[in-house]
Amino acid sequence: MYFHIWQKEIKGELYTWKSMLWLLISSLLFSVTSYLLLTNKELSLLDQTELLWLLGKVIIGVALLIVTVDASSVITTEFEKETAESIFLSPVSLADFILGKLLSSLTLWLAIFAVSIPYILVTSAGSHLAIPFLAYITFLGTLGVLGFVLLVFAISLFFRSSKNTLTTSLIILLGLSIPAVFSTTLKNDVASQIISRVNPIDNIFSSLDNVLVDYHVSLLQNWQFIVPLIAFCLLAFILLLFAMHQFQRQGVIRSE
Amino acid sequence: MNMPAIISIKNISKSYGGKKAVDGLNLEIQRGEFYGFLGPNGAGKTTTIRMITGILRGDEGEIIVDGSPVSDKNHIAKLLGVVPESRGFYEWMTASEYLYFFANLYSVPKKNQERLITTLLSEVDLLKRKNSTIGTYSRGMKQRLGLARALINDPKILILDEPTLGLDPQGQLMMQQLLKRLSGAGVTIFLSSHLLDEVSRLCSRIGILHQGRLIAEGTVDELKQKTNMKDLTEVFLHLTNA
Amino acid sequence: MNMTKTFITTCVGIASLLFAFAVNAQTTNLPPPLSIQILSQNTLSGVAGDFVTVRGQIMNTGATTLNDVTTYLSLVDTGTKLPVDLEDWSAEKGLYMGSIDAKQILPLSWKIHFVKAGTYSLIIVAEAASNQIPQVSTITHFDVAVKKNLNPGQVLPVALGTPIIILFLLFVLSYRKKVDE
Repeated sequence: MYFHIWQKEIKGELYTWKSMLWLLISSLLFSVTSYLLLTNKELSLLDQTELLWLLGKVIIGVALLIVTVDASSVITTEFEKETAESIFLSPVSLADFILGKLLSSLTLWLAIFAVSIPYILVTSAGSHLAIPFLAYITFLGTLGVLGFVLLVFAISLFFRSSKNTLTTSLIILLGLSIPAVFSTTLKNDVASQIISRVNPIDNIFSSLDNVLVDYHVSLLQNWQFIVPLIAFCLLAFILLLFAMHQFQRQGVIRSE
Repeated sequence: MNMPAIISIKNISKSYGGKKAVDGLNLEIQRGEFYGFLGPNGAGKTTTIRMITGILRGDEGEIIVDGSPVSDKNHIAKLLGVVPESRGFYEWMTASEYLYFFANLYSVPKKNQERLITTLLSEVDLLKRKNSTIGTYSRGMKQRLGLARALINDPKILILDEPTLGLDPQGQLMMQQLLKRLSGAGVTIFLSSHLLDEVSRLCSRIGILHQGRLIAEGTVDELKQKTNMKDLTEVFLHLTNA
Repeated sequence: MNMTKTFITTCVGIASLLFAFAVNAQTTNLPPPLSIQILSQNTLSGVAGDFVTVRGQIMNTGATTLNDVTTYLSLVDTGTKLPVDLEDWSAEKGLYMGSIDAKQILPLSWKIHFVKAGTYSLIIVAEAASNQIPQVSTITHFDVAVKKNLNPGQVLPVALGTPIIILFLLFVLSYRKKVDE
């Protein structure tokens, strides 16, 4: 069942003007970033590891933003366009419905990642960092996107409104992104360090730094960053389960 | 021998913000019956239909459909074909794609899908426009497509909430003829409509809902006798104005 | 007799004090007796991104040891007439020399990174603990040309090509949808 929902989403959401524009915008951002970074590298203002780290942050940041914005409407639009009733009148379970939508959001992330591959290859040319960089962007990006999409879906089921879902999701994304881009000198106090430890975006960036700069490429060497990220995904999943339970209790049509 | 009712509604109630939309409703629909469900705006017809289909949860009471509670979604969904009040469609899909999508959701075998979809589109007179996107359809065409979707799983029970709303006279006639044919084939039909003439001609039994309560039930003749009125319109106005 | 003795002693004391002040005043209001020479060319040319080494020497031309000597760079953009932040230009903006004995010569060396195109003036400044006015070297000029590479790291084919491919796919999608309709 979820496969058909996924198929429908790919055709209706991803194979559209809107999604192609997202990919075009991503590509332009990556183009400008990689051009500026490589110009600076040629001026010896950046070394290659720092260049790749900056590019990695841009790729993950752009992907998280686009997928969050898209995920904010994939479920809520079904209610706003009144197509939810006909879907839920069919034998499709809520779990199948959510899974189909989730796979569609992950497909969008993979499309953005695919667009970023040529940039990754050209900026890591001449170094031994291409494969670890690609592998970790895939792994960390997928975990990060998964966590955020699960969270956004939970919010969607609570609000059933794309405007409220989008606003809340963007506030959460900004709230987690801003501390992650602070330099280490601004993270010396205890509170900042605790936030840094639990912030999924901070952990993604720190893990990339660990891989690229210190060349700690094994998963074990990055466990201190991966575990909080997995915990974030689990927390988002639990929140989604709770939202699904509430949704089923209230029914597809909520009593007003 | 008394067959159990295919739809059994026992003491169902539903409130919205303190106001009772459905108040202690008791109703039984027999197998193969063509039941007309009438009521003025705000009487609770759509709320009742949504509770029967499981989309909305009642505050009290129970609804049994073909021996299973409505909470048994998997079983109920396969029995029912529904033309709901909300008329949302995936406007970017063609009619063909739309019906294929729902055929897959209802697990219609792949080898039967093409023939079934062609037949349904033909019955609702949309075959020539099957490859046009739904966004280009008129309201009436969308209504007919909604009926085709409701029939995709060959349902035992067909529930329709104002299915002829927005249809031109030819469209209404086509719909009525199709419903008559389905009823003749043994499908139980539960029709909510404002078109009293249509209900009077098609339905074997009628229930009238007013302020969330079933105030009258029976055949057209029985209702005319009870109220001493000439036709269904007068019966309806008499009962709902009281 | 005693009064005369006291008077003479007092005069000598005051005279010594005045002399000491005079000597002291002369020492702090002058720059230290240091000679700073830049041994590199008067004008150093290059392209943005190049590294050059500025070599020089510092000599104590005085008769006594100078303590706590520090030398540092000062760079001015002659185009904008503004001082330049040496953040990326040099890793060691200052060199602590410590003590320089009389007539001693010590070498100076700075690795400079040409960060941005333009024309610049560089001086070396030396401070000693005992002096309030620093000593400066002659001016060395930098003439930094623009790095003319429009395709750093062969990035242009990717930076231009990828968006073009996506744009092409967008038009194909749009065309196909129009045809379907």
